[in-house]
Amino acid sequence: MTTGPMPSGRADARIALVALCAWLAAACAVWAQQPLPQSEATAVESASSAAGSASNAAGSGSSDGGGVVSRLRQFAGAQADAEPEFLPPEQAFKVRVTVRDAHTLAAEFVPAQGYYLYRDKIRFILPEGAPVSVAEVALPAGERKDDPNFGVTEVYHVPVRARVALARTDSAEQPIALEVRYQGCADQGLCYPPEKKVFNLLLAAAEPGAAPAAPVTDVPADESSLAAGILSAGDFWGVVASFFGFGLLLAFTPCVFPMIPILSGIIVGRGHQVTRRHAFTLSGVYVLGMAVTYALAGVAAGLTGTLLSNALQNPWVLGTFAGLFVVLALAMFGLYELQLPAALQSQLSNVSNRLKGGTFWGVFAMGVLSALIVGPCVAAPLAGALLYINQSRDALLGGSALFAMALGMGAPMIAVGVSAGALLPKAGAWMQTVKSFFGVVLLGLAIWIVSPVIPSVAHMLLWAALLIVSAIYLHAIDPLPHNASGFRKLWKGVGVIALLLGVALLVGALSGTRDILQPLSGLRVASGGASAASAEQPRFILVRSVQELERQLAQAGGRPAMLDFYADWCISCKEMERFTFTDPRVRSRMDRMLLLKADVTASAPEDLALLKRFGLFGPPGTLFFGPGGEQLPHRVIGFQDAERFAASLDAVLRAS
Amino acid sequence: MSRAAQAWLLGAVAVAALVAGVLLRPTPRGLAPSPVPEAAGATLLQTTLPDLAGTPQRLDQWKGKVLVVNFWATWCAPCRDEIPALVTLQRELGGQGLQVVGIAIDQLDKVRPYAAEMGINYPILIGELGAIDLARQAGNELGALPFTVVLDRNGHAVRGELGRVTEAKLAALVRPLL
Repeated sequence: MTTGPMPSGRADARIALVALCAWLAAACAVWAQQPLPQSEATAVESASSAAGSASNAAGSGSSDGGGVVSRLRQFAGAQADAEPEFLPPEQAFKVRVTVRDAHTLAAEFVPAQGYYLYRDKIRFILPEGAPVSVAEVALPAGERKDDPNFGVTEVYHVPVRARVALARTDSAEQPIALEVRYQGCADQGLCYPPEKKVFNLLLAAAEPGAAPAAPVTDVPADESSLAAGILSAGDFWGVVASFFGFGLLLAFTPCVFPMIPILSGIIVGRGHQVTRRHAFTLSGVYVLGMAVTYALAGVAAGLTGTLLSNALQNPWVLGTFAGLFVVLALAMFGLYELQLPAALQSQLSNVSNRLKGGTFWGVFAMGVLSALIVGPCVAAPLAGALLYINQSRDALLGGSALFAMALGMGAPMIAVGVSAGALLPKAGAWMQTVKSFFGVVLLGLAIWIVSPVIPSVAHMLLWAALLIVSAIYLHAIDPLPHNASGFRKLWKGVGVIALLLGVALLVGALSGTRDILQPLSGLRVASGGASAASAEQPRFILVRSVQELERQLAQAGGRPAMLDFYADWCISCKEMERFTFTDPRVRSRMDRMLLLKADVTASAPEDLALLKRFGLFGPPGTLFFGPGGEQLPHRVIGFQDAERFAASLDAVLRAS
Repeated sequence: MSRAAQAWLLGAVAVAALVAGVLLRPTPRGLAPSPVPEAAGATLLQTTLPDLAGTPQRLDQWKGKVLVVNFWATWCAPCRDEIPALVTLQRELGGQGLQVVGIAIDQLDKVRPYAAEMGINYPILIGELGAIDLARQAGNELGALPFTVVLDRNGHAVRGELGRVTEAKLAALVRPLL
């Protein structure tokens, strides 16, 4: 590559601009694959009213990031006479129905951006007289819309999932024709007539003896629709800005931070005759290269739907990440130096020598490469970010958010590049302390990552080990020298706390507690505080199989019964136990019931049979039985706070 | 390749990608305003629907006036939003030969109390869900509401507006025809 005749300052600016255009163009091409969001219509419309046409001034006036692109589109002349555009009904509202099991259907409604469905207009209808009928429909609470005409209504602007419980008189496998009715509107001031769609589904044979699916009184809020709600709430720039901040934080993580001086050294190339402006542009181009790579990852995340989130729940993937963190942590402790292979290193220095202050293509390519190299290192937070985007199903937003994140990551790099090293802290012994600290943090991350897929004993023991070993390194049990500095004392204090926590976890794990938040709770009961403990925790009778359950129900003695499905790994079960069951209001109601608990931690065949008997997929789930042992239609799925749970119990007590 | 040439090349690629993105974008069907079909005016004028009293009314009784046919429903919030604008329009321009006619994609028992409450001063015809097809024939491909068609004094459909319209916009459409 040779240096062109152009004055370098102007060329720099131009190339940076062109790179930005390339990114915009890529975003545009991706956006082309998306259904037209309403925001485009808004932007187009506002542009046209500015042009003096008598346009709809009563539009919702919401503006978000789509506006930039649509304005570009305006310049491209694609829309001459601009008016609000509306989607055909089948694009405005997508509906999908799937069979969950012999008694349950799941229906998903996906309104396009800027469109909404009325909650109370959603209906599921099966033909009269068929052996299958709709027993109960559970729809998550909608967003409250205060309509001047109708009062407060509930609407869905974001995808929602409904659970349809079926009642069956015939347990054989059979086809059903489910009619789904819904009605919705566009924010832009348009309503679609009531829509009817028929889904032909095949219902599996019901297990003989299985209870007809009981109505579901509560649907746990769907996390994906929650995230989508935050994202599609229209605050596009808010999301992009938070991702920028997020990137800035990432820049100070152990694997990005040490790279800053190295990279800025290479980029700006030994920095003699490099002007500040030149350094700025070069660093900028490098960061742009990195940003474009991350943006592509973001776009991919936006487009792949649930693929990625499934991958991130796989034990092998989690294990690999955790392993990577351990490797990095050990490097932080100085067990070995993490270095690029010698061949690659010399190649790199060759390149950087040849670059001499850097040409833009080279620096851009390095940006792309370093994103790939640093990528796995910031994988955990990156995965979190990607998951978040993934759930928004918006490729444009995904790309822009990650682009902003990379810019944030690159900001310190640019600052260092411009300051030509003046901003960098001096290396010294303190660096080793910082590195060790990050090493511990990385090990903690590794434990946290694998925690969903390892037994809770192992989880607790790992934390105990990490805390105790760190405490030793902090001189927790070494005597303080006579005239110890303030910092020594502080660190010793921190060390002692870590040591105590670690010991508590170790003792708890070995004494059979499986609760990482209360490792010593097992001891409390054992050490004679039995009466106090029982006053706090309601006494549940454990049932291990369907037979045991029936035996217990037969002996209920005219009391209604409550059956709580529990597992060690179920966080909301623990929350229920700690925050809900201990509440006096709840206790007083629970005291009037026979309390049964099915611990399905082991997922033994009997456990699965119990779950299947009631059409549950797993805990948390609480079922209720009348005094005669018959199952009541009430059930509580997911966490409920004391107030709501007390209300649920009231309903049960009234019904029995 | 010189740097200048590189820059221009990159620029050209970016522009090409941008243009491709714009062109490849699938155009949603049913753009508004849909060009009003040639026969829309005639179709509407031949239509007979019951009014609030149950008496069949043929739309061509208003031929010779500038006709604003508004498809709406009580369950459609944006439709309800624009009713006051239509009432004002009828009051102010009725004397100059304007006639607003509402076709409700709705049931009589829902429409009657609403019409009284809003003080609707123009005829309302009850079309129920079937009148959606009439709206489609008049150029409303989506069958969505509200939908407003403006006919000139010769019964020729001048314009179809899908979605909420403002009083100012309607007045601007109608005035030149009076």
